[in-house]
Amino acid sequence: MGKDTMESVKKLFTTQSSKVDTNRGEAYYADLYNSCRKRLDELKALPPINNKLDLQAALFDEGIDRRDFLKWASATTAMLMLPASFTPLVADAVQVMNRIPVIWIELSDCAGNSEALLRSDGPKIDEIVLDIISLEFHETLQAAAGHQAEKQLEDAIATFKGKYILFVEGAVPLGMDGQYGTIGAKAETFKDHLIRLSSDAAAVIAVGSCATFGGIPAAAPNPTGAVGVMNVVSGKPIINIPACPANPANMVGVVLHYVLTGKLPELDSLLRPKFAFGYRIHDNCERRAHFDAGEYVEEWGDSGAKNNFCLYKMGCKGPMTFNNCSLIRYNEAVNWPVGVGRGCIGCSEPDFWDKYAYERPMANANIKAPSGGVEKTADEFGLVLLTATGIGIGIHAVASAIAGKKNSEKDAE
Amino acid sequence: MKQECYKKVERMTASMRIIHWANAIFMIVAIVTGLYIGEPYYQTLIAGPAVHKYVMAWNRLGHFIAAVIFDVTSIIVVYLYFFSRFEKSYKKLIPSADNLHEFAEVFLNLITLNRKKSFDSSHSDSFNTVYFTIFHLLLIFMLFTGLQLYVHGLESGLSSIGSWWPWMLHFATDWTIPATGGNLMTVRIAHHVTMWLIIAWIVFHIYYQIWRTIFWQEGDLAIVVGGSKFAKEQK
Ligand code: SF4
Ligand code: SF4
Repeated sequence: MGKDTMESVKKLFTTQSSKVDTNRGEAYYADLYNSCRKRLDELKALPPINNKLDLQAALFDEGIDRRDFLKWASATTAMLMLPASFTPLVADAVQVMNRIPVIWIELSDCAGNSEALLRSDGPKIDEIVLDIISLEFHETLQAAAGHQAEKQLEDAIATFKGKYILFVEGAVPLGMDGQYGTIGAKAETFKDHLIRLSSDAAAVIAVGSCATFGGIPAAAPNPTGAVGVMNVVSGKPIINIPACPANPANMVGVVLHYVLTGKLPELDSLLRPKFAFGYRIHDNCERRAHFDAGEYVEEWGDSGAKNNFCLYKMGCKGPMTFNNCSLIRYNEAVNWPVGVGRGCIGCSEPDFWDKYAYERPMANANIKAPSGGVEKTADEFGLVLLTATGIGIGIHAVASAIAGKKNSEKDAE
Repeated sequence: MKQECYKKVERMTASMRIIHWANAIFMIVAIVTGLYIGEPYYQTLIAGPAVHKYVMAWNRLGHFIAAVIFDVTSIIVVYLYFFSRFEKSYKKLIPSADNLHEFAEVFLNLITLNRKKSFDSSHSDSFNTVYFTIFHLLLIFMLFTGLQLYVHGLESGLSSIGSWWPWMLHFATDWTIPATGGNLMTVRIAHHVTMWLIIAWIVFHIYYQIWRTIFWQEGDLAIVVGGSKFAKEQK
């Protein structure tokens, strides 16, 4: 057995489950509390990097008072699966988030994750908190362009070597030597760009389904050979925050966790933070009672839809999707896809565009045959198989009957 | 007409027959409920709020009960493969010259429409044994993929019978994710497609046993009812 085969067999049997350990005992949390306190005090002593934005003032300008802020802090503490006693630490950590430099790059993407941060109906606490991170470079948001922008990037890398967090949005095209996506005057391919920037980063955070698993650019037939960040970068801590778009609350959660503890949150086998992707949509869905009762929306706008019945028959993929949007929702808990009456399309799972997003139950979906080309629904495939069996049996039975008759005629003679 | 004399041969014990019929009944239960779980094909027409009806939940319960019964019968069948009172099935699976020859002969008997029948039909032949083994392999695949789908709902790592259960399910079935193609949906697709393979298997199985009974004239169908058949005496 070759080494590669051995490795893959080993991997097969050691795949981590997504089990979430939410209670690690008093001693563990007491220790963690002290180390977090120490780290925050150290960070506080440092000057803010570039971003002098005063969080309190910014919140006040948006009409958010201290009480709202503390409510947010306790909700975020709970989301990170820390005990309530950590709430003041979380509130403190937010104030020093501008001590951590962030570089944000975009590859094969639609800037949807950046949009998710910017285009909420009015900036809510999650978005304001992301305003105070020290964003050293962001192609879409910065004023600089052309050579100026490149210079800014070089400066940021040089100044914060080994300290910055690299946010990556978008898939990495590997086809044709990576020539499907290049950046800058020197036409550096996305792949080289990503490898160069990640080699000096403290950690790489892939946001959105494209950066994590290839997403829509990697959908069949994947003409550009797109893959996610974790297939390109190695030797660096990588965190995946999938979903389309990634929920700003989860981005804040990961950065906060890093600021607070100096460590990355616990990850599952797909490198997703367990605090966000440890639970299944379906188990926290408000329509779940209708699922168990067998009450489904049969077509858009029918009386089931008006009664908020379960969307399973309209293709909801909540039962196979791990994400926390059914808990924390989007836009500061205003609503989420199932809440507005359309099914989950499994946007936070690998291969979601081909395997989840067909908006009908799997039994009805066009699934690519392993040979490629021909698409058949699973049930059509089954019926073809059964028909073939039936025809075979029919022919055999008739032939046997005729042959049997001849034999007995022969016997009778 | 030739004079033929028959001898009675024991083929299945009572417990083997019970397993066979338990499998048959629960396979129907599993298919009927499984198709509903895959895509609910009838509507719940009970008026009143959702708290009073559990149509999907009952279907899932029935499906899981069937699965547990298959778990148990599978273990017994694996045991019988090696320690059965009759022909120990594993012996018929070894690709020895004898077995290959017998396999070919039985297959020829089927496709020559019983013109040629030159093998001992009093015992379980290797063609049928291979065919049954395919069924058991399909069933085992269903068990692993099904338990993987089931454990998605135990993501907290807890269950009513303790945390060892989800742990064990993950340990035993997580390999089905990479093995079927890399995500939770491919496990589900594989589980669904395998159901169709099993249905096709059943259709041919029933046909073949009836065919044997009619053309071999040895009462093969009686094996699964009374436990024995009659084999023509080789003179
Ligand atoms: S709407 Fe979707 S997530 Fe909610 S209960 Fe139905 S199938 Fe599950
Ligand atoms: S409901 Fe499903 S598709 Fe929609 S955002 Fe959540 S995980 Fe993505």
